Amino acid sequence: MTATLETTVPSTVDTAVELAGVRKVFGHGNSAVVALDGVDLKVKPGEFVCLLGASGCGKSTLLNIVAGLDAATSGELQLNTSRPAVMFQEPALMPWLTAARNVELALRFAGVGRLARKRRALQLLELVRLGDVADKRPHELSGGMRQRVALARALASTTVSADGAPALLLMDEPFAALDAITRDVLQSELLRVWETTNTAIIFVTHDVREAVRLGQRVVLLSSRPGRVVREWDVTDSSSDVLDEINTHLREVISGHAS
Amino acid sequence: MATPPDTLDKVGAGLDALDVPVEEHKPPVWRRFLKTGVPPIIAFALLLGVWQALWASALLPEFQLPAPVNVWNELVRSISTGEAFGILWTSLHRAVLGFLAAVVIATPLGLLIAKVRVVRAAIGSLLTGLQSLPSVAWVPAAILWFGVTPSTIYFVVLMGSVPSIANGLVAGIDQIPPLLPRVGRALGAGRLASARHILLPAALPGYLAGLKQGWAFSWRSLMAAEIIATSPQLGVGLGQYLHNGSSLNDINMVIAAIFLILLVGIGIELLLFRPLERAVLRARGLTGAL
Repeated sequence: MTATLETTVPSTVDTAVELAGVRKVFGHGNSAVVALDGVDLKVKPGEFVCLLGASGCGKSTLLNIVAGLDAATSGELQLNTSRPAVMFQEPALMPWLTAARNVELALRFAGVGRLARKRRALQLLELVRLGDVADKRPHELSGGMRQRVALARALASTTVSADGAPALLLMDEPFAALDAITRDVLQSELLRVWETTNTAIIFVTHDVREAVRLGQRVVLLSSRPGRVVREWDVTDSSSDVLDEINTHLREVISGHAS
Repeated sequence: MATPPDTLDKVGAGLDALDVPVEEHKPPVWRRFLKTGVPPIIAFALLLGVWQALWASALLPEFQLPAPVNVWNELVRSISTGEAFGILWTSLHRAVLGFLAAVVIATPLGLLIAKVRVVRAAIGSLLTGLQSLPSVAWVPAAILWFGVTPSTIYFVVLMGSVPSIANGLVAGIDQIPPLLPRVGRALGAGRLASARHILLPAALPGYLAGLKQGWAFSWRSLMAAEIIATSPQLGVGLGQYLHNGSSLNDINMVIAAIFLILLVGIGIELLLFRPLERAVLRARGLTGAL
């Protein structure tokens, strides 16, 4: 019924996500704001892509469109994945449910039976090393732990499909509200989880260092309207790439100074 | 980047160990009793003392201000003859039935008002207005519509408690952080599943506050209805007992009735709503008020 962690089937599809000319306009007439203007993006199954940009570049809007929480004004979106999972900047756990129950909630919406739900939730909590606190409620956990529960919940909702469709995880600045040490730990945690689960990840951030550390590919978006400015392959990241991306990001931002 | 992964794992494990909340141990039972049980007992004793002193000063005639011991005797009499239990049962079962009916009506009503914009615009303020209308104002109309029957009493109870419960639920839903239903949608919850697993539990604290107020209103409305609408057909409830005391110019009976009405109110609060509220708030880590 449920796909287990070990048996993620290598997929035959070569794109997990494909965006073509996606445009999003908020409002009408004179007060209309173009958030995204013709964004093209391809993500391969199991690929880790970081979307980088300053505020107002429509990163979150783009993520919401892929997640199906928002509709594009025009353009095309094609998903060859199971239901995409979303992680926000806040963990947004249900405060009345224990960590395990929060993870189970995702499985419940997917129609997984009670026993399978329990087993799978514990398995995912073990994966983020929170098996011991499965019975704790969110207010009893630290910020970093909560975000890891949110990660387990997101994984639960995307890796549940039986047809072997590749999983997709959308992350909207998930570590931005954490302290530096916790962020460092969670980044390595995320990389480990990504390697074990073979999930495609679109990770939105405004932190160049984070983008280069985590991603295989970094996509820089311009602000108002959001467009893809450039892409970098950062699998073998050197500090040169970091500087180069930083320079470009600064250019994009300073272009708005006038 | 330069840190090897297993060092980071250790850092992570260390962070977790530091972050695990320290368990608070509960104070012993006698100390908690000393803190929460003793002050109300002292307050009650003081009140009795003042009453006794007032009575002893003989400022008011006996038929207006009875001696505490006479009221006590009336209470003991009605309890020992079993009369008190019959009276309490008559009133309590009406209040509980009326309250349960109010919950059944008010819950879907509150959901509708909270989630459907047109419904909120149409009857949202009416419902809030109804909350400030004393339900005793419905008694004359209800008597004309239903006669002096149980229907009259239940109608007044419903008019008293439905607005409170529905409004509580609306307030509870309005205060849900918008991120929670969004997460629900992202996890694939449909409208019904979202209402059942996210909206209702998230609104529970507000809903519970509404239920508590709804109970208080239904109890008050019931007393008002019973005092005004009296007939042999309706039997003797607390309101009628109070009414009888007044008709007989028996101040002992009147005070005893008031005492019993209060007792039920406090009892239900302490035995039912307080523990429920505590459990709900504690589960969410909202222990500030406890």
